Amino acid sequence: MTDLVRTGFRFSRVAIYGVLLLACLVYLIPLIIMLITSFKTPMDIRTGNLLALPTDWTSMGWTKAWSEACTGVQCEGVKGYFWNSFKMTVPAVLISTLLGAFNGYVLSKWKFKGSDLMFGMMLFGCFVPFQVVLLPMAATLGKLGLANTTAGLVLVHVIYGVAFTTLFFRNYYVAIPDALVKAARLDGAGFFTIFFRILLPLSTPIFMVSLIWQFTQIWNDFLFGVVFASGDSQPITVALSNLVNTTTGVKEYNVDMAAAMIAALPTLVVYIVAGKYFIRGLTAGSVKG
Amino acid sequence: MSQLELRDIRKTYAGAPDETLKGININIASGEFLTLVGPSGCGKSTLMNSIAGLETITGGSILMDGKDISGMEPKDRGIAIVFQSYALYPTMSVRENIAFGLKIRRMPKEEIRQEVERVANLLQISPLLDKKPSRLSGGQQQRVAMGRALARRPKVYLFDEPLSNLDAKLRVEMRTEIKKLHQRLKTTIVYVTHDQIEAMTLADRIAVLKDGELQQLGTPKEVYDTPENLFVASFMGSPSMSFIEVTVDRSDTGLSVMVEGGDGRTLALPVPEYLENWAGRRVVLGIRPEHISQPHEQKRDNLMVAEGRFTVEVTEPTGPDVLAVIRLNDTDVQCRLDAEHPVEWGAEAELMFDMRKVVFFDPESEKRIRP
Repeated sequence: MTDLVRTGFRFSRVAIYGVLLLACLVYLIPLIIMLITSFKTPMDIRTGNLLALPTDWTSMGWTKAWSEACTGVQCEGVKGYFWNSFKMTVPAVLISTLLGAFNGYVLSKWKFKGSDLMFGMMLFGCFVPFQVVLLPMAATLGKLGLANTTAGLVLVHVIYGVAFTTLFFRNYYVAIPDALVKAARLDGAGFFTIFFRILLPLSTPIFMVSLIWQFTQIWNDFLFGVVFASGDSQPITVALSNLVNTTTGVKEYNVDMAAAMIAALPTLVVYIVAGKYFIRGLTAGSVKG
Repeated sequence: MSQLELRDIRKTYAGAPDETLKGININIASGEFLTLVGPSGCGKSTLMNSIAGLETITGGSILMDGKDISGMEPKDRGIAIVFQSYALYPTMSVRENIAFGLKIRRMPKEEIRQEVERVANLLQISPLLDKKPSRLSGGQQQRVAMGRALARRPKVYLFDEPLSNLDAKLRVEMRTEIKKLHQRLKTTIVYVTHDQIEAMTLADRIAVLKDGELQQLGTPKEVYDTPENLFVASFMGSPSMSFIEVTVDRSDTGLSVMVEGGDGRTLALPVPEYLENWAGRRVVLGIRPEHISQPHEQKRDNLMVAEGRFTVEVTEPTGPDVLAVIRLNDTDVQCRLDAEHPVEWGAEAELMFDMRKVVFFDPESEKRIRP
């Protein structure tokens, strides 16, 4: 009897791990193919199996993608665009996160007449598709003199991101007891002191959530990049597309794959570094007394 | 140490149809310990927040030592609150928690250090100073919260149900602690609670609130012995007063009321002369459990004492005594009986009614009938 139960138990364990492993593999195969292809020679790619390991390991694809590959008429690799993306993403992420934290603080701890309505309307911003704002945004950027600049892209991403970051922080701060704010007010702390000294130090988990979310969104954005930036200010997503579509002679898949890996690397790194906070921040929120 | 005067305090929340506070008048003497007690939703927390300035009042004025403070910012009023949830800053150590208010007020570093030390010694929390609040037990957090309030040396302390989150044993300990602290510091304290035992044991005076109106303001003894109305009578005391509807009868020997037990037996209870005007009319008789007991030899001669046999329906031994329930005029009535002479559930018992401290209420207005 016990033996039977035990075998049944063992079988179900094996089955569970088997299925999980299979799911993992299916999920990882595209990444594996990208990675091994990026280290192959063009010859190897044409003759060999897609899943086979490179016969000659070479980083040629990576160096070419980084500094020599043609993205349109220029042939300087994705290097410059990679830094463009950073110049756009870092300020946009920081500004939108700080603004969101501030909005969330006001909308949860300093409620005023119509503040809930305001929050509802800001939430609406989460559901507006990118395409809808393209034309009006282009006109606005033109009037502001920010067309085709990195600053313009930062502005667009901040505006778009604030809806999400406000939602994150507002819901996080709602769970923090009001008594904390009351106690600080009686201690003599003002509006900004309470924010910077009491609430912001409590916000690490949700800060990480907002950072990861915004970084991924803004880094990976293609549409705004392709529409509102041109030439030297284009982000890497646009450059990657140009690189893949610029063909002279034989298609160099190793270079394409390496460029794609370069484009995806920062978001991966951010997720690995701050990922544990992401899960914690999404589930936590309350401060026990 | 300051005197606090609440004059006709009114508060209506924006969009609310009714007033939350309907004209509260309380004069709190310097060094007095006043408890605000009432059921949840009675407005006691609103009143406290209004005193502290965390809520604006819509009418009336708050005077501290004769000066109107109702327009002032919370930080300028010289008031500290100890919150129910303690509201300690989670990211700061105990030391930083206590020093926060002082730092903001730009007190010199050395003075802050001395003040924190003084408060820590007073509350015996010195070993905890470098810990984070999350590492402390509920009772320790409570002490730190009190320390934070003390450090600023406010003129008036407000306690917002400070013991509700503690377990029963700790609650009694902290209650004694707070009382000792008050006796030592002689500060003015307003203490909000829904626990009438806390109110009775701590207060110099009790203010009973219901639906935003002051029901009664008086010493614990006054509130307990001579409640102004049915609500106060039922709220104060545990187990609470029993209320029996009776008719006042006049006979040759004086005024009396008739009660009928669960088995149909009746007993005439003597009532005081001041009910003269109520002869022939119905009144509500309020009797506390301790006024119905087993017969005492020395009380027997008193004219205001009556004896009768009644069936005991339920018994609840509490240790020092046994609470028994009998039925009189179709109402459950609690009696406090001696644990040394046990009464069986379902059996008959000889009970003595001491009518000297019984109170009567007008069934219409629910107010106490005054002598």
